[in-house]
Amino acid sequence: MASLPKRIIKETERLVSDPVPGITAQPHEDNLRYFQVTIEGPQQSPYESGVFQLELFLPDDYPMEAPKVRFLTKIYHPNIDRLGRICLDVLKTNWSPALQIRTVLLSVQALLASPNPNDPLANDVAEDWIRNEDAAIAKAREWTQLYAK
Amino acid sequence: MQLEFKKVYPVFSWSWDIPGDDDADREIGDEDLCGICRVSYNGTCPGCKYPGDNCPLVIGECNHNFHVHCIQQWLATPTAKGLCPMCRQQFSLKRGVAINEGQVEKLANLLLQPRPAALAADDQDMMMDQEFAVR
Repeated sequence: MASLPKRIIKETERLVSDPVPGITAQPHEDNLRYFQVTIEGPQQSPYESGVFQLELFLPDDYPMEAPKVRFLTKIYHPNIDRLGRICLDVLKTNWSPALQIRTVLLSVQALLASPNPNDPLANDVAEDWIRNEDAAIAKAREWTQLYAK
Repeated sequence: MQLEFKKVYPVFSWSWDIPGDDDADREIGDEDLCGICRVSYNGTCPGCKYPGDNCPLVIGECNHNFHVHCIQQWLATPTAKGLCPMCRQQFSLKRGVAINEGQVEKLANLLLQPRPAALAADDQDMMMDQEFAVR
């Protein structure tokens, strides 16, 4: 295996020494490009008090290519589909090598605080969200209680 | 007391001559690192072994600095769309700056060329903040 680029080592060290509040990211023992991530649901969002598990993988071309991030915990959110895939511009077309693991995870946390049903990935969820926002938020809260522990 | 010099070891240090680098408002920390590879300007990109002319620094019109190999590799990706990673403005080299000379053509030709293979990720970028001892 090729050795780990210094940038990844630095980022990993900083994630441990100076963690982002509400976010943890730990590299896998056998593969230092694979991280187990937890994100706390933001306060005053339907995901409040939930702890969501994610996986993050740094492809060989990182940082020229964005990290791959996916929810492992089931979540009811218009921009996250049932496979946990996330619709977020900085993970796709708006990626920049000036971004880092921590900034990407902050963006994901911000997406939990502000769901955007007008740019959906999970179409059925987005439709529910637009049709009856209160009911959708209640369901998101319910799923948080059920799955994000 | 009389001193006699037996040997002399001159030691030189160097750094890139970055315009505006003396500004008092310069922040400590990230400011001296390439925004792409996060290695010091005076170090090398992850693919190079020796800093200096072999792995030059370039300055953008937007005043963001990168190792030329880092920004080249980025601009060669389709995601880059020719934009600076820091400020997302169209990236071009600042004119009339000494350290950009010799790099202008390379970068201008870049978007015409196919994407280069990924740089070998050696652990050869350990040389930060070099000081060269000359004997």
